[in-house]
Amino acid sequence: MNIKNSLTDRVFTLGSSIVVLCVVMTIAFPSKFATVDNFSQLLLNLSIDTIVAVGMMILMIAGMFDLSVGSIVAFAGGMAGYLMYYHGIPVALAISAGMLGAVGIGFINGWLIARVGINPMIQTLAMMGIVRGFALMLSGAGIQNFPYDFIVIGQSRLLGLQMPVWYMIAIVLLFAFLVKNTSFFRRYYFIGGNERAARLSGINVEKMKVWAFVISATLAGVAGILLSSRLGAALSTSGRGLELRVITAVILGGASLSGGYGKIWGAFLGALFMALINNLLILSRVSGYWQEIILGVILIVAVGVDQLILKKIEK
Amino acid sequence: MGSVSVCPHRPIAYIVKLELKNISKSFPGVKALQQVSITFTPGEIHALCGENGAGKSTLMNIISGNLRPDAGDILLDGRKTEIENVLQAEALGIAIVYQERSLTDSLSVAENIYPVHQPRNRYGYIDHKVLHKNASEWLQQFRLTMHAATPVGKLSPSQKTLVEIIKALAKKPRILILDEPTASLTHEEADILFNMIRRLRADHVTVIYISHRMAEIRELADVVTVLKDGIFQGTVPSSTPDREIIRMMVGRELAADTFVSDVTKEVLLEVKELSGNGFEDISFNIYAGEILGFAGLTGCGRTALARTIFGDSRYNAGSISIKQRPYSPRHPANAINAHIAYLPEDRKTEGLFLERSIADNIASVSLSVPCAAYNAGKERETADSYVKELDIRTPSATTPVRKLSGGNQQKVVLAKWLATQPDLMIVNEPTHGVDVGAKTEIYNIMKKLTAAGKGIMMISSELPELLQLADRIAVMWQGKLITILSRKEATEEKLTMLASGL
Amino acid sequence: MRSLIYILLLFACACELPPRPRSEKGGVIKSAKKFITADEISADEEYIMVTTAINLPLYVNHDQKAFLDWGKKTGVRTSILGPSEWDVPTQIATIEQVIAGKPAGLLINGTDPGIAQAIKKAVDAGIPTVVYDSDIPNSDRHCFIGSDWYEMGRLQGERMAAITGGKGKVACMGILGMENMEAGFRGFQDAIKKFPGIEFLGKYDDKANVETAAKIAADLLAANPDLAGIAGFDSNSGPGIALSVKESGRVGKVKITTVDAEPEHLALVKEGVIDYLVGQKRALFTWLGAQFLFDMRHKTLPLSADDAEAGVIPVPQTVITGSIEIDRENVDQFIQ
Repeated sequence: MNIKNSLTDRVFTLGSSIVVLCVVMTIAFPSKFATVDNFSQLLLNLSIDTIVAVGMMILMIAGMFDLSVGSIVAFAGGMAGYLMYYHGIPVALAISAGMLGAVGIGFINGWLIARVGINPMIQTLAMMGIVRGFALMLSGAGIQNFPYDFIVIGQSRLLGLQMPVWYMIAIVLLFAFLVKNTSFFRRYYFIGGNERAARLSGINVEKMKVWAFVISATLAGVAGILLSSRLGAALSTSGRGLELRVITAVILGGASLSGGYGKIWGAFLGALFMALINNLLILSRVSGYWQEIILGVILIVAVGVDQLILKKIEK
Repeated sequence: MGSVSVCPHRPIAYIVKLELKNISKSFPGVKALQQVSITFTPGEIHALCGENGAGKSTLMNIISGNLRPDAGDILLDGRKTEIENVLQAEALGIAIVYQERSLTDSLSVAENIYPVHQPRNRYGYIDHKVLHKNASEWLQQFRLTMHAATPVGKLSPSQKTLVEIIKALAKKPRILILDEPTASLTHEEADILFNMIRRLRADHVTVIYISHRMAEIRELADVVTVLKDGIFQGTVPSSTPDREIIRMMVGRELAADTFVSDVTKEVLLEVKELSGNGFEDISFNIYAGEILGFAGLTGCGRTALARTIFGDSRYNAGSISIKQRPYSPRHPANAINAHIAYLPEDRKTEGLFLERSIADNIASVSLSVPCAAYNAGKERETADSYVKELDIRTPSATTPVRKLSGGNQQKVVLAKWLATQPDLMIVNEPTHGVDVGAKTEIYNIMKKLTAAGKGIMMISSELPELLQLADRIAVMWQGKLITILSRKEATEEKLTMLASGL
Repeated sequence: MRSLIYILLLFACACELPPRPRSEKGGVIKSAKKFITADEISADEEYIMVTTAINLPLYVNHDQKAFLDWGKKTGVRTSILGPSEWDVPTQIATIEQVIAGKPAGLLINGTDPGIAQAIKKAVDAGIPTVVYDSDIPNSDRHCFIGSDWYEMGRLQGERMAAITGGKGKVACMGILGMENMEAGFRGFQDAIKKFPGIEFLGKYDDKANVETAAKIAADLLAANPDLAGIAGFDSNSGPGIALSVKESGRVGKVKITTVDAEPEHLALVKEGVIDYLVGQKRALFTWLGAQFLFDMRHKTLPLSADDAEAGVIPVPQTVITGSIEIDRENVDQFIQ
C-alpha cells in the first residue's frame, strides 16, 4: 500500500487522526481520559449514533440520505413503551411492533422516493416531522417504569460494557462485511456513481433504493429500542438533532454527498471521532456554547484538508 | 441571412497567422508532444489527423490556452505570444469547440451561446430580447428550429453539438478549432456546418479541423497535418489518397478488408409490429451471425427502438422473441437475463462509472445477477484478461475510467458486455469519438462475435462503417422502418435518400 | 464455525444483568447509598452543574450566576456543562461522562424524567447529587430544590379570576408534557373552577418559543373576540403573548398572567401589557443546592457519628422555595 493510496483512504487518515487525538488526550488529562470508566461511557454514548450511522452510510453511498432517522429512533422507543406501559403488552411483542413501525416508515420513504420520484430531502424532511409527531403522541411527557425484561436489553453488562456497545460492534462488523463482500451491497456504489448507467447495467435501481431506506429505518428502529431500554424511558425528545450529527459523522467517515463513496468502518470512525471531540470538550470543561462551533469547524477542516491532499496527489 | 458574412455584427476584420515552433509537452510518464512545428495559413481549412494519444488534443489545448507548453513558441503574425489562459486566447481570437460538452442544461440556448458579455439594456441589466434575437439569427443559419429560450437540456445530442459550435462562432474567432464536430451530426447538419466553415475561410479565418473521417477531410479540408505519437509527420494536400494519410497516422497500411459473412439461418431476434415511444409498427429479424445495421437521421427512432428491445423503455404494441422464445422485457435486467447486451450512444452518461476503476466497470453487469458473494480477486482477473484481449491502454485495471481516452473507454464498455456472454449485442454508435486504430479493433471484436454465432444490431450514423460491416442495413425514418437493404444493394447515396424520407 | 458459536455462548455467560428493582420486603431498612466525603476543603474540588439549553437567558442570569457566585465565595471550582439546545439525551450523556471524574458534587437541572437513570448512576457512584427546578422521581437523588408549580398555577388562576371579574374565556400555554408545567396547568384549572363564569379554552404548547407563543396567542385572539385572558407557564410565553395582544390592539381588554420575572417581563408589566408575574427564586435553587452538596461532602452538620456509613442524608430531602408575586405595584423593586 503506497503512501498515495493511504492518504486518499479516509478510513486510514481518520483512524490515524483518532489515534493521535487519543494520545494527546491521554497526555492532557492523565487521570481522566484513559480510564476504563471513561472509555466505556464514551462507547456507550457512541453506540446509538453509530448504529444509525451505518444505515446512513449505506444511503449516502447510493447518493441519498434520510433526515427522518432521529424521529424514527424516538418513534420505535415510543411505540414499544406505549404498548408496554399503557396496554401491558408483553415485551417481545411490543418491541416487534416498534420495529415493524420503523420498517414500515422506511418502506414508505423508499417507495415514495424511488417509485414515485419525490426528492429524498423533501420526503425525509416531511417524514421527520410526521414521525416525530406520532412519537410525541405515543410517548407524551415520557414513559418510564418499563418491565424488567425490557430494560435488560439495554442495561445488562457484558465484560463491563453495557449491551448497546456490543450491539453496535456486532452491527458494524456485520455490515462492514456485507458491504464489502456481497454483490447486493456493492450495487449501491454503482447506483451512487451513475444511476443511469447502473440501470442500463441491469441493476434494479428502484428496488435497491427502497431496500436502502428500509435498512436505514430498521437500524434506526434498533437504535430507538436500545436507547429507550438503556435510559429506562421513552423520551419524546429522543433523537432530536440526531440526523445532522449522523450525516456529519458519515461525511467525516468518507461519504460524498453525490454518492459512490464511503465505507462502513468510516461511519464508525466518524462517529467515534465526534464522540472523542465531545469528550475532550467536556473534560476541558469547555462550555456548551462552543461545542457546536467546534464541531462545525472540524467538519470544514476535515473535508477541506482531504480536498487539498487530493488535489496535490492528482498533480 | 443572405450574403452577410458568417459572423453578424462583425467589426473590422483582421488576419492572424498561427505558427507553432518546436512545441513540446510532457505529462508524468508520457511525452505528449515532441518538438511539433506546424504552420497554419489563414484562409485555409487545415485538418489534423492522428490516432488517439497522437497529441492532437494536447496541441489544441495549448493553442486554446488550457495548457502551457513545456518548450517551444507560439507565434501569432510572427510575434512570440504566451497564451496564459483561455480568456486570453479568446481575446486573441482563438475559439475551440471540444468533443466534450461545455453547455449548461438548465440554461437556455441563447444563454449558452453567450455565456459572457451579454447585451445590456440602458439600466445595465441583461437585455433578453436582444440576446434572443442574436441567438435566433445563429440558429437560423444552422436551420435549427428551436426557440432561443429553450433549455439546452431538452435538446438532442446533435442539436447540442450545433449549439456548442455556434457558441464558438459567436466569439467571432480568427482561429477556430473544431474537434470531431460531426460526431453527432447527420449529413444535412454536417453540410450546413461545412458551408459555414467555407464562409469562414473566405473571411480568412484559420480553421483547424480535427477528424477521423477521411471522406470529410477530402471534402472540406485544404491541407492535412498528421501527428503520430506526439511527433509531426507532415502536412499534405487533402487530395492525398486516404491510404497514404492513414499510413502516416498508424505507420501501416490498413489492409483492404475482405468481408466475410457469418450469417446463419437461425433466427436470433424476431421483432413483430413493435410500437413504442418514438417508433411504430417495426418488424424485422436478426439472424445468428448477422450484423444488421440501422441507418437514419438523428431522432428517427433507432435509439428508442434499441432501448425498448433492451427493456429500458416500454412498448405498447407488438411482440419480441429471442431464440424463438417470447420475450417481454420490463427492465434492462430482463434483457441481460435473456443474454442481450446494449452499448449505449453516450458512454459517459449511460455506459460507464467514471470514478470507478476499469475492473469495477467491467464487472458492473455481473453485479445485477443475484449472487451473494463478491470476489475481488476474480474481478481483477477478468478485468486483466479483457484489458489484454482488447488492448486497452492503461497503466493498470485499477485506474479510474475517466482517465482513459475515448477509444479505450469504449473498449471498457465493450469488455463489460462481452463478459456477460451475450447472444445479441445492440451497439449504438460504437465508434463515436474513437480513433482510427481503436475503430479497427472494435470492428474486429464485432466480427469475432458474429463468427461465434452471435448477432449484432448496429446503429450508426457513419455510413461507411455500416457499409463495411453490415450484412443488411435497415433504414428508419420518422419512427418507421422504411426498408432493409442487402449488402449488395446498399450505397451511401441510397441510404442517405431513404433516411431522408425520399 | 462451531468455535465461533462456542465463543459467543461463553460471551453470553459473562453477561451481567442489571439489578432488579428493589421489592417491598417488610422489615428491611431502605438504606441510602454511601456518598463520598472529605475532611479538608480543597480549592480543586469541583462542583458541576449539568443542564440543557445552557444559553437560555433565564438559566444564565439566575441559576448559573448564583452558582458561579457561590463557587467564588466558597473558594471551590465550579463548572457548567450541557448542550446549547434543549437536548435531553445529550444532557444524559454529559452527566454520565462526568461521573467518571468523581466531582465533589453534581447539581442537575431536572429537565425530564428520562434522566433518572443517569442520576441514579451518579448516586451509586457516591457523588452527592441535587436536582433542581423540577423533581425527577425514581432517581435516588439526595435532595430536590425547586418551586411548587401547582402553587404557581394556582396563584395565576386566582389572580386571573380576580382581574377578569370572574367572567370570560381564558386559556393557558406552556411546554406540554413537562411534569412541572402540567402541575401548573392543574393548579390553574383548579383555581378557576371556583368561578363558573370563566370558560377554560384549553392548554396549548408553545414549545418554549416566543414566536410560537405569539402565534398561538394571535390565533386565540382571532378566534375569540371576547377573550378575557391568557396565562403563560414558561419564560417565553409572556413575551410572545404580549406581542400578539399588542399587535391586535387589545391591551387591557385581554389580561395576561405568566411566570418568570426577566427584564422583558418586568418591562411589559410596567407598560401595562402583562398584569401579573409569578417569579421563581431560581438563584436559591443553585446557591442553596450547591451549599447542600458542600455540606454533604464536608460533614458540616453531622446527624450521627458518620452519616455516610449510617445511611443518613444530612440535607433536606425536598425544598420548596416558594414564589414571588409581581404586579404594577411592586414591579419597580425588581427593575434594575
